[in-house]
Amino acid sequence: MHIDFHDLIWAIINFIVLLAILYKFLYGPIMRTMESRENEIKRNITQAEEMRVEAEASRAQLQEALNDARKEAQEIVNNAVKVGEETKNQIISEAKDSAAKLMQKAQEEIQREKEQALAEIRNEVANLAVLAAGKIIGKTITADDHKKLVDQYIQGVGGIQ
Amino acid sequence: MEEHGTTVLFDIFGLKVSSFVTTMWAVMAVILIISFFATRNLKKVPTGAQNVMEFLIQTLIGFFAGVMGEKNAKQYLPILATFFIFILLSNYSGLLPMAGHLPGLAAPTSTLSVTAGFALVVFFCTHFFGIKEKGLGYFKHFFQPVAFLFPLMIIEEFVRPLSLSLRLYGNIFGEEMVTAQLFSMAPFGVPIIMQLLGILMGLIQAFVFTLLTAVYIGGATADHH
Repeated sequence: MHIDFHDLIWAIINFIVLLAILYKFLYGPIMRTMESRENEIKRNITQAEEMRVEAEASRAQLQEALNDARKEAQEIVNNAVKVGEETKNQIISEAKDSAAKLMQKAQEEIQREKEQALAEIRNEVANLAVLAAGKIIGKTITADDHKKLVDQYIQGVGGIQ
Repeated sequence: MEEHGTTVLFDIFGLKVSSFVTTMWAVMAVILIISFFATRNLKKVPTGAQNVMEFLIQTLIGFFAGVMGEKNAKQYLPILATFFIFILLSNYSGLLPMAGHLPGLAAPTSTLSVTAGFALVVFFCTHFFGIKEKGLGYFKHFFQPVAFLFPLMIIEEFVRPLSLSLRLYGNIFGEEMVTAQLFSMAPFGVPIIMQLLGILMGLIQAFVFTLLTAVYIGGATADHH
């Protein structure tokens, strides 16, 4: 067991040469490649996270907009229903009014017709009665008499009524 | 017992090149070829060799992070991972057939010279990183928790490289010797078991060396209270 200084020096030289060459051609490039890959992966992960947060935010925004739109639509429908209800009530009350008016008018008309008819009947009856009386008496009644008689008769009938 | 592979093959600038050194070069070449294929075409979405290399590096970072924290583990990964891969493949080079007997092929970690070289790198790196991180305040921790333990602390600092190098060398050299002895006694069957154990041992020793290095660097750069 002795130490050969030539071998010892060679060992040191060889090691330093190998280290220098490997440093330049192996560790440097490989470490750089691995580092840049690591950085890229980190960057990608950060980016993905940012995009996820962004997507989450825009989703929330859309959800909010959707909710607003829903609320608005509901409001519009409610309004429309209310307006419709009001219009319906109005139409119904108007119809009732006009029906009542029509009914009243019709009744008035009927009343008037009835009165007119009664008056005509009275006239006719009086005429007939005067004619019949004239026949019975056998004497032609003058126009003046006739009128007088009819009037008297009518007044008499009216009195009965 | 005599160490194998000590034969000097040739020398460069006066530095003698033994089989340990040539094997180290071969191991380095293998590592460089693998890293070339793993990083030839780096992609955001990894495939094939890049996947394997990234898995290895991630595993090592996770392993060291448990010892010295995530930030330190990433910062000191190059030196720690280089030790791990270099030592692991050096250990495994001893499992090749004829390793230690063939000229030019001998497990570098089976000699104390090489493991001492590695341990010295660890020793200097530890203190260098400590001073770099904390300035002169780094030396304060030698006087803590109590000042009179200073000599012990200094001894500990020098024992560390000694234990690092002896442990690695002893385990790998011993394992090789046992395999060689078993081979000479029963060439078939039995050495295979030792070889399989050697795969586990090589991995464990590489891990232990690197883990202790991480502990030392982590301790030197951490905030002392």
